[in-house]
Amino acid sequence: MPDDDDRARARHLDTERAALGGVGAEQIAEPATHGHGDELAAPAPYDVWSRVPSIDGSVAALGEATYYDRPVIKEPVWIWTVPAYFHTGGAAGAAAVLGAVAQLRGGLDGLVGRCRWIATGGSALGTVFLIADLGRPVRFLNMLRVLRPTSPMSVGSWLLAAMSGAATVSAVGRGRGGAAGALARFAGLGGGVLGGPLAGYTGVLLSNTAVPAWQGARRALPLLFAGSSVVAAASLLELLDLDDHEQAVVRGFHTAGALWELAAGAAVEREVGRVERAARPYHEGASGALWTAAKAATAASLLVSLLPGGGRARRALSGLLGTLGSLALRFAVFQAGRVSSRDPRATFQQQRAGRGAAEVTATPAVTGPGRRALAG
Amino acid sequence: MAECHPVGFQWVMEAKRRGATIIHVDPRFTRTSAVADIHVPIRAGTDIAFLGGIINHVINNERYFDEYVRSYTNANVIIDEGFRDTEDLDGLFSGWKAEDGQYDPSSWMYRGVSGVAPSAGQREMFAGSPETARGKDITHEQTDDTLQHPDCVFQILKRHFARYTPEVVAETCGIDEDLFLQVAETLCDNSGRERTSAFCYAVGWTQHSIGVQMIRTASILQLLLGNIGRPGGGILALRGHASIQGSTDVPTLYDLLPGYLPMPQASHDVDLASYIGFNESASGWWSNLDKYVVSLLKAWWGEHATAANDFAYAYLPQRSGDHSHMTTVTAMRDGVVKGYFIMGENPVVGSMHGALHRQAARELEWCVVRDFAPTESAEFWRTGPEFDRGEVRPEDVATEVFFLPAAAHTEKDGAFTNTQRLLQWHNRAVEPPGDCRSELWFMYHLGKRLKRLYAESTDPKDRPVQHLQWDYPTQPPHDEPQAEAVLKEINGYEVATGETLSSFQQAAVDGSTAIGCWIYTGCYAAGTNMTNRREPWYVQDWVASKWAWAWPDNRRILYNRASADPQGRPWSERKRYVWWDGEQERWVGPDSVDFITDRRPDYRPALDATGTDTIAGNSPFIMQADGKGWLFVPSGLLDGPLPTHYEPQESVIPNPLYAQQCNPARLEWERRDNPYHRAFDDERFPCVLTTYRLTEHHTAGGMSRWVAWLAELQPELFCEISPELAAEKGIDNGGWATITTARGEIECRALVTDRVRPLRMGKGRRRTVHQIGLPYHWGYLGLVTGDVVNELIPFVADPNVSIQESKCLTADITAGRSSRGRRVVTSGPLVPMSGARSHEDRDLPVVAGRPRGQHGERMGATQQTEET
Amino acid sequence: MTVDHGVPPTRTETPEQRQGSFTVLERDRFGPGPKGFFTDTTVCIGCKACEAACKQWNQLPDDGFVFTGMSYDNTVDLGASTWRHVSFVERPVPLPGQTTGGGDFSWLLMSDVCKHCVRAGCLEACPTGAIVRTEFDSVFVQPDVCNGCGYCIPACPFGVIDRRDDDGRAWKCTLCYDRLRDGMVPACAQACPTDSIVFGDIDELRAIAEQRVRTLHDRGLTDAYLYGVDAASQPGTDGLNAFFLLVDEPDVYNLPPDPVVPTKKVRESWLAVAVGAAGILAAAVGAVLAGTPGGNHR
Ligand SMILES: Nc1nc2c(c(=O)[nH]1)N[C@H]1C(S)=C(S)[C@@H](COP(=O)(O)OP(=O)(O)OC[C@H]3O[C@@H](n4cnc5c(=O)[nH]c(N)nc54)[C@H](O)[C@@H]3O)O[C@H]1N2
Ligand SMILES: Nc1nc2c(c(=O)[nH]1)N[C@H]1C(S)=C(S)[C@@H](COP(=O)(O)OP(=O)(O)OC[C@H]3O[C@@H](n4cnc5c(=O)[nH]c(N)nc54)[C@H](O)[C@@H]3O)O[C@H]1N2
Ligand code: SF4
Ligand code: SF4
Ligand code: SF4
Ligand code: SF4
Ligand code: SF4
Ligand SMILES: [Mo]
Repeated sequence: MPDDDDRARARHLDTERAALGGVGAEQIAEPATHGHGDELAAPAPYDVWSRVPSIDGSVAALGEATYYDRPVIKEPVWIWTVPAYFHTGGAAGAAAVLGAVAQLRGGLDGLVGRCRWIATGGSALGTVFLIADLGRPVRFLNMLRVLRPTSPMSVGSWLLAAMSGAATVSAVGRGRGGAAGALARFAGLGGGVLGGPLAGYTGVLLSNTAVPAWQGARRALPLLFAGSSVVAAASLLELLDLDDHEQAVVRGFHTAGALWELAAGAAVEREVGRVERAARPYHEGASGALWTAAKAATAASLLVSLLPGGGRARRALSGLLGTLGSLALRFAVFQAGRVSSRDPRATFQQQRAGRGAAEVTATPAVTGPGRRALAG
Repeated sequence: MAECHPVGFQWVMEAKRRGATIIHVDPRFTRTSAVADIHVPIRAGTDIAFLGGIINHVINNERYFDEYVRSYTNANVIIDEGFRDTEDLDGLFSGWKAEDGQYDPSSWMYRGVSGVAPSAGQREMFAGSPETARGKDITHEQTDDTLQHPDCVFQILKRHFARYTPEVVAETCGIDEDLFLQVAETLCDNSGRERTSAFCYAVGWTQHSIGVQMIRTASILQLLLGNIGRPGGGILALRGHASIQGSTDVPTLYDLLPGYLPMPQASHDVDLASYIGFNESASGWWSNLDKYVVSLLKAWWGEHATAANDFAYAYLPQRSGDHSHMTTVTAMRDGVVKGYFIMGENPVVGSMHGALHRQAARELEWCVVRDFAPTESAEFWRTGPEFDRGEVRPEDVATEVFFLPAAAHTEKDGAFTNTQRLLQWHNRAVEPPGDCRSELWFMYHLGKRLKRLYAESTDPKDRPVQHLQWDYPTQPPHDEPQAEAVLKEINGYEVATGETLSSFQQAAVDGSTAIGCWIYTGCYAAGTNMTNRREPWYVQDWVASKWAWAWPDNRRILYNRASADPQGRPWSERKRYVWWDGEQERWVGPDSVDFITDRRPDYRPALDATGTDTIAGNSPFIMQADGKGWLFVPSGLLDGPLPTHYEPQESVIPNPLYAQQCNPARLEWERRDNPYHRAFDDERFPCVLTTYRLTEHHTAGGMSRWVAWLAELQPELFCEISPELAAEKGIDNGGWATITTARGEIECRALVTDRVRPLRMGKGRRRTVHQIGLPYHWGYLGLVTGDVVNELIPFVADPNVSIQESKCLTADITAGRSSRGRRVVTSGPLVPMSGARSHEDRDLPVVAGRPRGQHGERMGATQQTEET
Repeated sequence: MTVDHGVPPTRTETPEQRQGSFTVLERDRFGPGPKGFFTDTTVCIGCKACEAACKQWNQLPDDGFVFTGMSYDNTVDLGASTWRHVSFVERPVPLPGQTTGGGDFSWLLMSDVCKHCVRAGCLEACPTGAIVRTEFDSVFVQPDVCNGCGYCIPACPFGVIDRRDDDGRAWKCTLCYDRLRDGMVPACAQACPTDSIVFGDIDELRAIAEQRVRTLHDRGLTDAYLYGVDAASQPGTDGLNAFFLLVDEPDVYNLPPDPVVPTKKVRESWLAVAVGAAGILAAAVGAVLAGTPGGNHR
């Protein structure tokens, strides 16, 4: 923790002459080193505006005028571990479901075990990923300070915690007898109940934001993530040793997931695409490329998994492609959101197209010069 | 005003809320324009033409406040037969002495009167021997109440401004005729019995070689419209630094003593009698000068000031010439001035021609700087482009520099005197840290040490120090003198009892009163610090006279007798302020009455009246010798009795009005290190450059460039230019530009904006003039740095008050960062000096024989430095 | 309860109003109950006193010394260390009622701040409970609770709250909770010379604001309107406790035209999760059944 001197330095205050106080004084800050000057370490977060300033809402087409093209919402600060978690967490969730069903069906012990380990590993790794993203990792336990139903992240944290517990118990206790075994079986079923929501809630996590590319796909995104989780889990299982029976189950799971993911992907494009500007990142730039690559990889993994023959290589290839596809998909969606949050026109046009509050409130907020009667 | 006086501007916005019309006249569209009703873009330096145009409109259309003008101004006074106007002499008034480069004002006088004393701040400014008891025969002035006499002020005024037609305004200022007429009509509609209009100005008007006359033009207009001395009217000089008003009242100026008493001149104010004789007025309020000066001497030398020794008059410093800022700097440069105190100023950045300033400082033997941080002015011996260029090396600078850390206003008690002459006390919130000390502490202890140093001396020249009354109670922990004790002395007291005085009317000529500054008397009435009164405005009447204290006599509106008609009745109910109460036989109103309180409105002075008896009951302007508002100024100004449009020293066009291009009496410093551009049409410098402030920074930056919270708001020096100029020069918004004058070159960012417009002007308005705007807050030190804008600007000044011309000059601008940091002072000429001495273009006739001052000045005034 | 405008919005004549409008720092100045800002951009002079006062009171670090070329705006947006921000909009059209000699032009100045939304996206998104609603109905981030998950950041429809890397927590305007508790007007409102920022009880602010719009309309500035004054005008947020008087489209001030607290839309997303979960289950059951030859049990 930086001491007072550091905080004072960042404020260019001399602590011999000035005392630090006030809420914001707690804020830790490196003395600013960014700017456009030569001697500065970091570049400014934006270019110098090089056009003659001229902003006019009444002349420009509605939705085209912006404030120096600056974003209207803040870009998510999440790092790569978050979409990575979407994948691992999703895989854990879907695997837990498959494991539970297989457990109930019986005769698929190896598969059950592997599913439980994927669920355990996935949720553990996911937790690590999430903690790594926190601005204050030491405070990760605060996630379980409250349960806030309005917050998908809060709900998700509880889900993940529960899943972690259930999966670990189920994995560690597997094959044991007595109470431990029973507990493990119970936990396995519990994981099966938690798994679906865990796989899907990350879609809500994203859509429950102001980010146009996410909010605009609020129905399809959870479905997409759920489907992609199935692919993720199945693909990991494809990479593992399985007997023929299990292989057949996994192949089926994989097939269903991949078809689902591809369909849900199209649904996302359609839903968000009702406002072209909001959908742009799914088609352009790095996020667009990732999105296309994800679709291709998933389709390829499906094809490979459907190829006749049970060779290890075929399964490994299919698993690899599926994993890549699912990962790329999460990163694509994540990146699309980041790009769209930087694009103020995406927000303006989405909302002006009736896809803001108007979608869910009886009266759209028609704000603007002279167009609004006085309230009250 | 919104930019530089945002807190005061709240009242403008409040007025706007209530329906007032706000007109903003400024070359640029600023934050003030953003909330104004009308923005008038004007070419910098042409306000006399603009306001003169309105005067012409007011007179031609008979929109003036007839009764006010007839009764309260000198419109009816007949001027000397010898008077010739600029109309007759193509830009010069009668009395111009080309060989001396100055005016003889005798032909400007009132007919029948031997001489008229100028008003507040009178100075003997003319050549020849001074006169005593001027204005003694003021009652003999000749008038024509029909205002028809061709030589009466009104007719002279009318003829003088007849030339300032809307077309001329358009050609000179670049203002469209219909916009001009809209402004003129709006102003007229809002003036008269029922309504008043106020003018606010600051350095957009003052910093010109014709600065004083710009404000004069506004005064004429406001007098014509009847807007002076009335609520909601007036001309508000928005002052600069906190207490800059205070520093003219209790002055830091070389030519004034406290309370606008003139500083004695070595040449003829040889004893108290001659000082009083030469400086007092035989009529009007200034006939009291003797009381004020004696009381001042008593305050300073106490028991050592007696009637027998002229009240120690001889102890006063006497001036031997012009010691104004730029003259002193050139004297430093030339090795005449050896030591220099810089206290609360950063002149290397804030004053003109920073490089010359630095070079001058490097010629000093010693220099003391008191500031919060070592500013550019403390670092002149090692910081500046000339060091980067290797032209000067720190090790070659011999000046001994003392840097003393200063206490901030929050760390000391004291009073600020602000724009409206209001003294407001502030209390110390914390002790100054470390070695930081207040100015008061520094001066007091310096004085103590000097007294100790000279204690044993028998040399008579050391007596002023030995006898100086210099005892103020001090307080721990730093032996800080009590500021209230100083205020008490400024207020004045009865010598015998030590009782504080309550009015300057108590000032005595016999030495029984001691007053540090007579206009402040009453600020410590009855032993109470009136400046520390904080009675909220909502518990008092709307004049709010119980908030702090205003000089003089806690008066909130000066000359408020003018708020009533000649008979003493309010001009209108809406504008009621003070009036004559026939029953009480006195003037009454919510404010302190600025008049002799029991003088009947129908009182008329006898022909032999003197002193304040000369003030008639219908003469509100009691500081003037004749009690009238001066449309025409017979004396007190060096550059003419009426404002006349002259082009700045460096202009883009020839003077559209007269053959005389520039103010003939302007101060120039003809030196190799101070080269000027051609008077006009200098192709090398085709643009008009104007400088100004930003809300985010403070002047030379000492208080803002070191503060992160302000520095981040405006982190880099920039210029503001129109998209048209930017396109012509290939400059991008946000990109770099280089700006050059004959003095130096700087680089800055460019803000390309429609807030700056190219103006069309000149004959037929065929000419497009581009203006470049430059805020001047940056320097080489602090959290944010940038080139010093003032290194572009030469020494040239208004003759009356020696203010620099920093609001308009010419310059060149190019795209990119091509400055090599050259400064004419250390790098030699940036451009060939050819034709730089184009006086043929500036003056008519050429002033060949003008005295060349010792330090290169070619001055309009007589006040050459006399010392050698 | 009187409205404290720092200095009064309209210095009307009744002594009560005068008294109320004068800034007296008494502890019991404020009852609880909704407090907020009415920011009247038509009297803003862009002096940035609010921005500087906020930074100074809260002792926030600078954002770096970055020249932007964006008119006089060099801090660009609200963020973790800038809780008040003044925008400068240069427009190629005149403001109705204003005469500009330099051709069609106007300069809109506006001081932006956290809206303290009645339904606050940030608060509803915060998993740790770090963001709370205070007794003044303001939205407050408790720095000692926030773990920097960053979720509030994209959840704010106005791009207000943000995290800085070096600190790791989310920060925004506190509505000067510390000052309110001591009966003091927020620093920004206190500093605002022209009363562009009016602080007070929401109900009273609404009344003042609506009166102001009427006045401006009467004077010909028919473009004037209120942004977020109540739930009717901004159903997506149920209204803002810090609302604005604007004269151009919200977009030019960098405000969203029809903002919505994301949670208003989330029901269908959760439904989709349910469908998805069911789908996974179905896929698993299907796969297990289909993958088991002859359905034989072990
Ligand atoms: N924020 C802030 N406030 C300050 C200061 C500061 O540095 N920063 N400084 C203080 C001081 S010391 C002073 S003296 C005052 C000065 O206060 P102001 O006089 O208001 O300051 P400036 O910005 O120098 O000049 C005012 C305007 O004059 C315009 N101007 C230039 N030339 C002309 C002209 O020929 N005619 C007309 N009509 N306008 C012209 C400029 O474009 C500028 O907008 O401000 C005081 N207040
Ligand atoms: N081009 C151009 N140049 C101009 C102008 C312009 O409009 N255009 N305007 C001119 C005007 S009006 C002015 S007033 C000048 C201003 O120019 P300066 O007076 O030279 O500039 P400031 O930065 O105000 O300098 C004041 C210094 O006093 C310090 N200070 C503050 N309080 C105290 C104190 O209590 N004690 C001591 N010892 N120091 C203190 C501050 O830190 C600061 O460094 O600039 C002039 N220069
Ligand atoms: S800085 Fe001080 S003097 Fe200047 S406007 Fe602000 S309050 Fe007034
Ligand atoms: S504006 Fe944003 S940060 Fe402020 S309360 Fe609303 S959602 Fe939260
Ligand atoms: S970053 Fe802090 S305030 Fe924001 S949602 Fe996370 S815990 Fe809550
Ligand atoms: S209310 Fe306080 S924290 Fe919020 S913007 Fe104003 S000064 Fe800053
Ligand atoms: S303090 Fe007031 S006038 Fe100044 S920028 Fe802020 S809101 Fe505008
Ligand atoms: Mo000044």
